[in-house]
Amino acid sequence: MFKLFASTALTLCLAGAASAETFKWAGTTDPQTMDPHAVNSAPVLGFLNNVYEGLVRRGKDMAVEPALATSWEPIGVGEGWRFNLRKGVKFHDGADFTAEDVLFSYQRASSEASDTRSWFAPVADVKVVDDYTVDILTSAPNPIFPDSIANWMMMDKGWAEANSTALPDKENGNYATLNANGTGAFMLKDRQPGLTTTLAPFDGWWDEAEHNITEAVFTPIDNPATAVAALLSGDVDMINPVPIQDAARVDERDGTKVIRGIEARVIMLGFGQDRDELKYTAMAGQPNPFKDARVREAVAKAINVDAILKTIMRGSAEPASQLVSPAMRGFSDALAARPAYDVAGAKALLAEAGYGDGFSFGLKCPNNRYLNDEAVCQAVTGMLAQVGIKAELDAMPVQNYWPELRADNFDMYLLGWSPGTFDHEHPVRFLVTTPNPEKKLGSWNFGGFSNARVDELLPMVQSEIDDGKRQAMMDEITSIYQSEHAYVPMYVQPLVWGAQDNIELTQRPDNFFILRWVTVN
Amino acid sequence: MTTSSEQTAKPKSMLARAWDSDVGYSFRHSPVAIISSTVALLLILAAVFAPLLAVMNPFDPASLNLLNGFTPPLSQAEFSPDWFLLGTDDQGRDVYSTILYGMRISLFVGFAAVALGMVIGITLGLISGYFGGWADAIIMRIADVQLTFPSILVAMLIFGVAKGVTPVEYRDQLAIWVLILAIGLSDWVQFARVVRGATLVEKNKEYVQAARLMGRGALPILFRHILPNVMSPVLVIATISLALAIIAEATLSFLGVGAPATQPSLGTLIRIGQGFLFSGEWWILVFPAVTLLALALSVNLLGDWLRDALNPKLR
Repeated sequence: MFKLFASTALTLCLAGAASAETFKWAGTTDPQTMDPHAVNSAPVLGFLNNVYEGLVRRGKDMAVEPALATSWEPIGVGEGWRFNLRKGVKFHDGADFTAEDVLFSYQRASSEASDTRSWFAPVADVKVVDDYTVDILTSAPNPIFPDSIANWMMMDKGWAEANSTALPDKENGNYATLNANGTGAFMLKDRQPGLTTTLAPFDGWWDEAEHNITEAVFTPIDNPATAVAALLSGDVDMINPVPIQDAARVDERDGTKVIRGIEARVIMLGFGQDRDELKYTAMAGQPNPFKDARVREAVAKAINVDAILKTIMRGSAEPASQLVSPAMRGFSDALAARPAYDVAGAKALLAEAGYGDGFSFGLKCPNNRYLNDEAVCQAVTGMLAQVGIKAELDAMPVQNYWPELRADNFDMYLLGWSPGTFDHEHPVRFLVTTPNPEKKLGSWNFGGFSNARVDELLPMVQSEIDDGKRQAMMDEITSIYQSEHAYVPMYVQPLVWGAQDNIELTQRPDNFFILRWVTVN
Repeated sequence: MTTSSEQTAKPKSMLARAWDSDVGYSFRHSPVAIISSTVALLLILAAVFAPLLAVMNPFDPASLNLLNGFTPPLSQAEFSPDWFLLGTDDQGRDVYSTILYGMRISLFVGFAAVALGMVIGITLGLISGYFGGWADAIIMRIADVQLTFPSILVAMLIFGVAKGVTPVEYRDQLAIWVLILAIGLSDWVQFARVVRGATLVEKNKEYVQAARLMGRGALPILFRHILPNVMSPVLVIATISLALAIIAEATLSFLGVGAPATQPSLGTLIRIGQGFLFSGEWWILVFPAVTLLALALSVNLLGDWLRDALNPKLR
């Protein structure tokens, strides 16, 4: 009897081991760091959403739901928000999650050294009420504040201080760059930058696990064609993205499938417009034509977005007129038209601005960040050449790209922006307001676009509770940045993921891949 | 009168002499040599006359029409009335024209890199072989160390350093020259070693001793007397090096560190085409690859034949 029992137990064990699933996935970009406060970029935040958690999180439909806070309510009339924290939450190292950690994470994520500090522009103060209650006071009424902090991830104070990583260091890195200690569904087991990153489920997680993964391995594969080959040969279970040109083939083949969607990300061109001189080509040192809004408008008119979408994007992306897609809150329906493709008009504008004979400049572009980014930049180079302005294209991997942009090393550049809050206010705050490190504004406004009226309107938008009035102000901001051609929005990027047929997963429009929704059948 | 008639007779007799020589005889009786030299010559001529033969200038971004992109060979573009012999790539560049222009870069880099490697290698080889001693020791140890690295690694290293020190504004214009420098510096060793070996043999021969007794300096002896006698193995290596240099350029460009995407060489074209292989747009990869193969193979076979023809023991 005992023997039978033992052998049954053994069989059950074996069966358990057989259904234990190692899930392997690949993406183009390795998350630069494991520090959730060091770099504000989607590959990092998307990856770390599996390891760290915020007070709130986004569900499959992007709606905000309770995470480390069980509930929240406004304090007084727009004075701030009170968050009631979840009890019994443990960090991966076993430490308890308390209000002190929230305060610490606020100080860390809003510090000078952090790339995420602009998220806290509306915050005046954070107060610990008791171990499980935190008040976040805002300098003005901020109705969307809880919506805006889903990516603000909680770090253990004790752990960070013990490992002398109380402040992030995005340039040189520190302990938190290679190690992680969150409260999330997965723990960081092994991190080899650029090679593999291994996650394991966290047994002490407070929520019910939906997935059946026992180990998850992420491998960055730079070359999209190689990633497709890895998917087709079964080396990986999921890849993001599938090159658009290969989507049909992956979908038609038995055993693999393509999951499509429209990403919240708008791809646009930005200009160095706050400086007097060009930086690149033989014309370096000459007066900067992009200071003139007519030249920027000429660029907008010279770009044949339809051609880019038809060929390079193979019909699977939508043209964009604003810094957000129509699905986002605050999109201006009245201003949904893009400047028409008009070579003669562009030439006329250039002539009017005094550049009838054209000029040359440097165009910076990533080559592994967005779908077909280098090909799009090449196409832009060709289209601009047709109106007589010569772009010298310099395409580079994304890990070199952001430092170049931060160092102002461009005349024109390509940027993709996905609003973390799903609100038009987000790109306005990051890309359109005058850069102001003190107020934590315009932190990704590399070109230095500046308009006093936009700066004046943004705080009003942030504190407006009435939807109609808020939209009216949003429309005004949109019409300003459109008529000034602060940026040239081109298209909304499609989401194209590939997976084995036995994988069930959820694709969120922010292109975050959430492991706890993955089932291996 | 007599001088002018001599002059007109001279070039003809030189050609005829080459044709009648041992090498000429071997050439006439080697189908491989005839075919490979014809292919190589055709490709080189096609590259030289690319502006006349191509239907567009693919290096001029203004001539591209994105809507012509991904047109298959021998067909009309989907959104325009243009026709394409070998199809177009993702940017609407005519593959046929791009191959012709790309071959110019490949060949230019190949020839220039070999010339650079040859000049450095011959000079160092002559010095090393003729003077011996510490000059020989230093030069040959450097050569030994360099030989322990695969030459493509050395080229990448040189390319990386050179790219780092060139000013950003001029990077694209200088990319080709940096490429030449990188490949040239990575293959001087073979020339140096062969020339050194031959020099060691030649320097003890009577004509060199005679020249020395007559009081000629080291430099005239090296370059006027020894150099012409060590040239035949150098020619063989130069031919084979040319094929290797063309492939090295293609490799570097394929890896994305060579010619810029706006001025594609054959290697860059193959790199671009490789991304579309899965999606069925094979022509972007296959035609440049076949051209590279034909070019490298014909030059290589020519080098092989030349080596056999110049080696009296094999005759």
